[in-house]
Amino acid sequence: MPADFVLTTCPYCGTGCNFFLQVVDGRVVGVVPCKTDETSGGSLCIKGYNAHAFVGHPDRLTEPMVRRGEQLAKASWDEALDRIVAEVKRISSEHGPDSVMVLASAKCTNEENYLFQKLARVAIGTNNVDHCARLCHASTVSGLLQSFGSGAMTNTIPEFENADCVLVTGSNTLEAHPLIGARILKAKEKCAKVIVVDPRETPLSRIATLSLCQTPGTDVAWVNGMINVIVSEELHDEEFVNGRTSGFDKLKEVVKKYTPDVVEETTGIPADDLVRAARMYAEADGAMIAYAMGITQHSNGTNLVRTLANLAMVTGNVGRECTGVNPLRGQCNVQGACDAGALPNLYPGYQSVEDADIKSKFEKAWGGELSGAKGMTLTCAFNKALTGEVKAMIVFGENPMLSDPDIGHVEAAIQKLDFLAVVDIFPTETAKLADVVLPAACYAEKDGTFTATDRAIRVVRRAVDPPGEARADWQIACELARRLGCQGFDFKSPAEVLAEIGAVAPLYGGIDRDRVDSEVVRWPCPSKNHAGTRVLHEGSFKMGRGAFAVVDHTPPAEEPSDDFPFVLTTGRNLFHFHTGTMTRRSAKLQRESPEPYVEINAEDAERLGIADGASVRVTSRRGAITVVARVTRWIDKGTIFIPFHYAEGAANRLTNNALDPIAQIPEFKVCAASLEHA
Amino acid sequence: MRTEHGNVAPVLLAKGDGPGELRADVPYQMAMILSRVYPHVPEGRIAVVARRCDEKAIAELSKRDIVDRDRIALIGLACTKEQVAECRCRDPCPETVDLGECSDPVVEDPVVEKVRSMPPEARLAFWTDQFRKCNKCYGCTVNCPVCFCDDCLLEDKTFTVEKGIPPGMAFHVIRSMHLADKCVECGECERSCPVDIPLLALRKMANDDMKELFGYTAGDADRKSPLLTTLEGDPIKEGDVDAC
Repeated sequence: MPADFVLTTCPYCGTGCNFFLQVVDGRVVGVVPCKTDETSGGSLCIKGYNAHAFVGHPDRLTEPMVRRGEQLAKASWDEALDRIVAEVKRISSEHGPDSVMVLASAKCTNEENYLFQKLARVAIGTNNVDHCARLCHASTVSGLLQSFGSGAMTNTIPEFENADCVLVTGSNTLEAHPLIGARILKAKEKCAKVIVVDPRETPLSRIATLSLCQTPGTDVAWVNGMINVIVSEELHDEEFVNGRTSGFDKLKEVVKKYTPDVVEETTGIPADDLVRAARMYAEADGAMIAYAMGITQHSNGTNLVRTLANLAMVTGNVGRECTGVNPLRGQCNVQGACDAGALPNLYPGYQSVEDADIKSKFEKAWGGELSGAKGMTLTCAFNKALTGEVKAMIVFGENPMLSDPDIGHVEAAIQKLDFLAVVDIFPTETAKLADVVLPAACYAEKDGTFTATDRAIRVVRRAVDPPGEARADWQIACELARRLGCQGFDFKSPAEVLAEIGAVAPLYGGIDRDRVDSEVVRWPCPSKNHAGTRVLHEGSFKMGRGAFAVVDHTPPAEEPSDDFPFVLTTGRNLFHFHTGTMTRRSAKLQRESPEPYVEINAEDAERLGIADGASVRVTSRRGAITVVARVTRWIDKGTIFIPFHYAEGAANRLTNNALDPIAQIPEFKVCAASLEHA
Repeated sequence: MRTEHGNVAPVLLAKGDGPGELRADVPYQMAMILSRVYPHVPEGRIAVVARRCDEKAIAELSKRDIVDRDRIALIGLACTKEQVAECRCRDPCPETVDLGECSDPVVEDPVVEKVRSMPPEARLAFWTDQFRKCNKCYGCTVNCPVCFCDDCLLEDKTFTVEKGIPPGMAFHVIRSMHLADKCVECGECERSCPVDIPLLALRKMANDDMKELFGYTAGDADRKSPLLTTLEGDPIKEGDVDAC
């Protein structure tokens, strides 16, 4: 037919909205919302409505390329693949398999991520596989795993609409997860209390019942302060605390010193507002916490996540509908990439690589010997590339040259590598430095599944053919493994890969392609007759009792000084997605937000004589960029904000690579910076 | 529409295609789907399952030569009582009913009544509050069956002067005026709105004014919009207009 409507899943944030791609003569020409989709309810955000725009863009990579001298030149698939295989074999035999790093991708499907980690573990022989979850919710995975026994969103997206109270912190929900933000607004219209804690005014905070503004990097203090108020006013849920948790006495002890006055001193949040927020949250029947990068991207990110888990457990807000601790994951399949085992310490389904029994289970399943040592994280790999321990990298659909902290450092690390292969859909900043570049199919050109932030498995359907010679990542991964001489990669379709995931990962035991085709299933789903799980930790926690963590406030790794008087924080805006490779090639999105900018408080701007629209230079200890000033009252004095989407004014030239000791997530949200007229 | 993958999907069938499990219970705005498909079907007739609002939207498109009415066959679908109530629809019955049975119109719109009962300041506050929720998805324009400009000027910087979101009141108010002679009250803007701005109420109020001022109702297949016709009356004489 001249016009088909192909149901698929949005390639942007982790909400997992489904929509129809309108296909005419082999081209995607538009997006139509799906009225009956449970997640989107027939609405979309501006990114969703424009998700077709980049697919046929002339910049798409259409042929393999290999470096010949200074230039990347067209090559055949055979030549390009053989070059990768030869280099990986050479480097691996000279320096050991742990000198090779594989970066998987939160933009790719579950099936592909499963193959990427299998490629690393079986075909190359290393657990060195990681992806950009390291940069966003690594601290959620480690923090919630320690507190609850499972590192994922406890409840589901539709529940936000029926909550009595929603506490949103470190999440600019209406911009970064618009359809979740919309549900929070709907809850508010039904008289729910919405509390937003954020150093910037956001579109959601302006409509919230109560909006609190903390100094960046002081989050442990205000959360402990809320618990202090709740315990001292006896608003805690004693039955829940006694029956389902451990370690409450120690928590009680540690929060004693976080009185509202002390918290006001540390965080800048007025004591009265903190008390009000604590009461609102504790007195609600069902209170949900939603958080994102503002919590996780700190050098104490894991601890911060654990304090939020404390707050939820103290008030009994876990294990019931419309409650819970709800990390909002930022990429279409960052949840699934973690589930599929694209992590250096975990096999598919969060099974430890250091557990001998589990290791032998996987050795049997995959028919090969596996390394028992956990691999390197993404952040660690770039450090080790600089010291020469990592010699080769295969990067599937990631752009560390824009997404990682302290890009100068990343660039130096990449230049030190013996070999870099990049598989992507566009010539990214990272691809430009590669020795081999392979053209990949985008979401509209392949089949598979994504797992949304609320653990729902969503189907991605092929609507059109890939451009030129581009191939799907799952095909590329299988071909590389075969050429490396490895068995177990003869998959004819992503559905066969999903079946293998179900066989090795109990969380996905009941998931198969036919089932999820017409049913929204959320993991854990251990068997075919299991309905899936909407609310985690009902009755008891995954690990038995929930564990309270004793956490004290510690200052961020870098604080303002005379030379760098501002706190710089980074994030996204509504119109662009991450490094902008897709959204900045979508005309309508680019029109809305065409250039890099810095938000600065009006009083600060006046003091420095900087007018709205002026060109300014922002400098940190690691670099400097020139961007346009947006003078606003939306941001606190002393704090500046730069979105990280723009290569020509890359915020991550400035950010600090200080890592959380447990999750190794970098502190994107706080560094010291100065600002002057350019 | 047809059941696909556990959802309801719009579908275009060619002669000889198997219909599958067709259904008509989900309110896709078929006039909007038609206007997306139409440019890609250069010849032949297209039959559309059309509710009353679709029928009226197709009349508006045809008057503006966006579709050729002779190439479109309408299969009239009467909305159920529940759908009529949900849309607060005051004109639910298609000219020819091929599917379903006609239900009574809903005469009073509680949102319109509520807004009309407010003094001007409260009315302004009400709309300011509603528009503040706008998250600039542009779903109200993308999904509107009578929004047909190739490039929407309203989405341009000129009318969404505020950086980021919300887009500013001008966007909503100008759009409302822009639609005054063509809005068929299908309610798709309101249904598409992720934050429940009562856009249908706004449209109805503008339409009421159109009717009162010009005696015209959008969707009328026979009459051109009064806004597209020449102003009548005596020629303007010197002195009628203040030159300063």
